[in-house]
Amino acid sequence: MTVAGPGAAAVAAGWLRRALLVAVALAFGGLYYRLFAAPALGGFVPPQAIPRAAPSTAPLYRPQLLPNSAERSVHSATAAEISDGRLRAFWYGGSREGAADVAIYTSVYSPVEGTWSPEHAVVTRESAQRHLQRYLRKLGNPVVGRDRDGRLWLFFVSVTIGGWGGSAINLMVSEDEGETWSVPRRLIASPFFNISTLVRGAPFLFTDGTIGLPVYHEMVGKFGELLRLDAGGHAIRKTRLSWGRTSLQPVIVPRSETEAVGFMRYAGDPPKRVLMVRTADGGATWTPPVKTGLPNPDAAVGSVLLANGPLLLALNHAQENRESLSLASSTDFGKTWRIAHEFEGESSSPQPLMREFSYPWIMQDGAGDVHLLYTWGRTRIKHVHFNPAWLADRR
Amino acid sequence: MSAIVGLLGCGVLIVAVVATLLRLQRFPPSARITVMLAGAFAVFATFGDLSAAAYVRGVTGDLSATTLVLAGAACVARLTGRAVIESRELRALFFLVVAAAAFLYPFALGWTRFDSYALGYGSIEFVSVLLLVTLAAWRLRRNVVVLVVVVAALAYCIGAYESRNLWDYLIDPLAALYALVWLLADARRRSREVAAARAGTA
Repeated sequence: MTVAGPGAAAVAAGWLRRALLVAVALAFGGLYYRLFAAPALGGFVPPQAIPRAAPSTAPLYRPQLLPNSAERSVHSATAAEISDGRLRAFWYGGSREGAADVAIYTSVYSPVEGTWSPEHAVVTRESAQRHLQRYLRKLGNPVVGRDRDGRLWLFFVSVTIGGWGGSAINLMVSEDEGETWSVPRRLIASPFFNISTLVRGAPFLFTDGTIGLPVYHEMVGKFGELLRLDAGGHAIRKTRLSWGRTSLQPVIVPRSETEAVGFMRYAGDPPKRVLMVRTADGGATWTPPVKTGLPNPDAAVGSVLLANGPLLLALNHAQENRESLSLASSTDFGKTWRIAHEFEGESSSPQPLMREFSYPWIMQDGAGDVHLLYTWGRTRIKHVHFNPAWLADRR
Repeated sequence: MSAIVGLLGCGVLIVAVVATLLRLQRFPPSARITVMLAGAFAVFATFGDLSAAAYVRGVTGDLSATTLVLAGAACVARLTGRAVIESRELRALFFLVVAAAAFLYPFALGWTRFDSYALGYGSIEFVSVLLLVTLAAWRLRRNVVVLVVVVAALAYCIGAYESRNLWDYLIDPLAALYALVWLLADARRRSREVAAARAGTA
């Protein structure tokens, strides 16, 4: 029998150190390989790159309320165009905002029939927590987009503890226009237990196939960021749109491969205005946020650049409340604005103003028509379908 | 894979915390093993839809290599009754963890335009600084620091977690808080020892 002495221990320690050094070489070889093998990042896909039919010359303006069969409290609508020119919308609804029974609902709009299908839930708190293998207390904002391969991506907010400041983002993918969905998975975007990242702005495509997702933080600071997601739905880059404690809910509108403008809700001291940022290098860097001339009561805005048309911004055009909802139009990509229409408010509604009209989502479909969805008194989601010919009459 | 890795990490953390709170090393060896196995079964058994590990994961997310190495070492220490990591190793690791946390978290809260967390998505400078720190730790025989970085880097390379950010593999707020408390307690203990030594020589 041999007994290992101090000499044997020293030999073992020497081998351990050499093994550690080999492990370091392997680990950092892998890290550097990933760095140098990463594909070059692409620029924005501008709206002109999306094929669209010639729009109708007859003005179209069709407002209607989406179904809400169980009379839930509803909020935060989002939508994407699906096959045959239809629109699939999502929103969250439940007994009240933040309640445990809040689920993400969907409904489909047929522009031919001009009607919405009965709504049904696509995600509930229970189903999400079962698939995510995490306890969830409530669900929140959904946003939907489409990737380069035509799949729909549905992002939604969930909270485990605390208020909305404790949110995280989850995502699901559908390959059949939203009929069925993958199980949800978690998007990691923050080093603080991955909390305090929320979505509200529309996702968009980069030329390299990655997806841009505007997000914002609400814990301690309030600021906007832009995530770049790979095909697997992992955040692979992050760029700060603002910093500090006064800006949130960014929406980003590309104009070319390199140029885009972003708008944010302003949560700071008066005067309350919509914030704006710009990039000229494909989103790598952004200008500091500046206040536009557009008043806004610390409320979400929606924006879209029409193909061969103006930049549109749907907003609560007031500093005090969300009792009106307007459409601002800019022909110089956000330098100057005029109010093209008031969808809700004193000029459009004879009844006493006591409702909330908020969280607008605006988009252009393949036929060139524009769709606006927004929260209508928290009791319904309202949809306004109009076309460029109607908009031209507002000038 | 990330769900399994994440749940496993949270399970190990729970077992380590419970074993530490119970001061398991005071029990006979057979009782230690029994309690550990029972604890492992309890944290992964599902109650309703979720296990205890899943509830913890709901709050903490996937745990960093630092936390996993420390939790694993705590489990082994409670089982064997002997410390696995020397104090000088812990001191070096925790100093680096606190320094990294001080660099990461304030900026991640939106303090300035600079976002240190974004470096973790792929920065040659960040990886190079990490390599230099790791080689320095190896040269100074701080093997636990080297082990933590290697585990984190390898896990990052194979995409073991949901995150694709290297920071999430290296540190997390639990590790940062524990490291800070440990360093403060260590500094207090060492200052008392110095004071006692001076009193003894006076």
